[in-house]
Amino acid sequence: MADILVAEVQDLRAGYGEIQVLWGIDLAVPAGEITALIGSNGAGKTTLMRALSGLIPAQCTRYRTDGVDLAGATAAQIIAQGIVHVPEGRRLFGAMSVEDNLLMGAYSRNIRRADLRRDLDRVYSTFPKLRERRGQAAATLSGGEQQMCAIGRGLMAAPRLLMIDELSLGLSPLLVEQLVAALRELNSQGMSILLVEQDVTVALELCHSAYVMDMGRIVRTGQGHQLLADPIIRDAYLGVPTD
Amino acid sequence: MLAAQVLVNAAVLGCLYACIAIGFSLVWGVLNVINLIHGSLIVLGAYLAWGLYQWTGILPWYVLVLTAPLFFGIGYLLQRLLLNRVITAPVLVTLTLTFGLDLILNNAMIYFFKADYRKLTLVPSLGSLSIGGVVVPVDRVIATAFALVLTGLLYLLLRRSRVGRAVVAVRLDRDAAVLMGVDVKSIYAIAFGLGAALAGCAGVLMALIFPISPLTSSAYLGKAFVVCVLGGLGSVSGALAGGVALALVEGIGAVVVGPSYATTLSFLLLIAFLIVRPQGLLGRKGFE
Repeated sequence: MADILVAEVQDLRAGYGEIQVLWGIDLAVPAGEITALIGSNGAGKTTLMRALSGLIPAQCTRYRTDGVDLAGATAAQIIAQGIVHVPEGRRLFGAMSVEDNLLMGAYSRNIRRADLRRDLDRVYSTFPKLRERRGQAAATLSGGEQQMCAIGRGLMAAPRLLMIDELSLGLSPLLVEQLVAALRELNSQGMSILLVEQDVTVALELCHSAYVMDMGRIVRTGQGHQLLADPIIRDAYLGVPTD
Repeated sequence: MLAAQVLVNAAVLGCLYACIAIGFSLVWGVLNVINLIHGSLIVLGAYLAWGLYQWTGILPWYVLVLTAPLFFGIGYLLQRLLLNRVITAPVLVTLTLTFGLDLILNNAMIYFFKADYRKLTLVPSLGSLSIGGVVVPVDRVIATAFALVLTGLLYLLLRRSRVGRAVVAVRLDRDAAVLMGVDVKSIYAIAFGLGAALAGCAGVLMALIFPISPLTSSAYLGKAFVVCVLGGLGSVSGALAGGVALALVEGIGAVVVGPSYATTLSFLLLIAFLIVRPQGLLGRKGFE
């Protein structure tokens, strides 16, 4: 299982205009697993996600999913291959209803109404709160509900790889627990997840393996529990001094 | 009695003003383009209705069926071939481009139709409705009804259809829409096409009521501008509110200070709104 890759990237470089942020990223996201991306603010995690989803242009020697070449692909082509990005700050369409937001998630698929209905029901059973709020403008949701709506919108695109940027930002521990449980459930059904998370403990406990980024480069990689025990990681990201 | 007549006139004219403004508002809201060719497209639609009635006797409201797809095509191509090339440039560049396109279209119309005022006069005349002393010509009632239908259709399209949702999504958050797999350039072309179709249809309805001349295009553009500022940019309900508000101000102004000052009054109101309430009466984010 682990040797099949849902996304494979080699020597990826990207940035904004003149400013280069990523300096040759190698990344292998195993199918069926949860992979975490950790690192301090400004390490380039969000930029990497934006490059992977085609939101910003990037150069690389290789970007493949399941045998399909995605180097230089547009955002629409990438999402059509099932690589779906839930952006930092949710980025919901605030004036649109929750249900319209979810329907926008399925935009790339152009499927029949009955199938759309079935997928909506699936998202509503994952996040029952969204069913209650379906007619409400997304901007009026609480932070946790907005994150559920953003993930639900991502799920509507039928992802093989769901990339979530900052799952827990601004949410209460209880809500984070609920979201983590939902992600575990989705993963157990076979969905691959790439998670950017500022709460390193949450990320490393949830993931199978993780990449550590610093200054636009991958500086460390390993199993979640290994990194959790790694004194350097504990010192740098968990605020626990080594003795 | 005079008050009732003024109110009814304002309601009728207000719906027509909303219809004039709604395509302009859509393009401004979604593309962030101030589309200066809008007024000339309205006049072109009016000439189409006038010409077809003159030569074939087809009644203007049937002409709508032809106008909508024809003008949609014109708008779609203008956006795809010209405006999309400069869409990321500062707003002044797109303004200049639509200004140039407007000069071309307007002068072409002056060349082909002359600057004379023409009037589409239905024969036989449809007469007037008179209810309790309030008199409304039937052609105005019909034009108003169609203006409301067009406005309602746009509302439904934006709210209920896949492509309409994408138009709204691009307006609300362009990057997030890209992440949904939306091709922004083709949505821009569709939105501009819709704006042009609404301009053409509004022109067909205007032909029923107002004299037609290329020189009227700037008056239509001015009305569209005022309605957008009064009602708030980017919502169908805002355009309706802005249209009725403008018609009320003009109607009451015509009675109080005389018809020749009505337009002056509406532009004074525009300036006042820009200072005091720049988001408009119903200003909100989102095209709903």
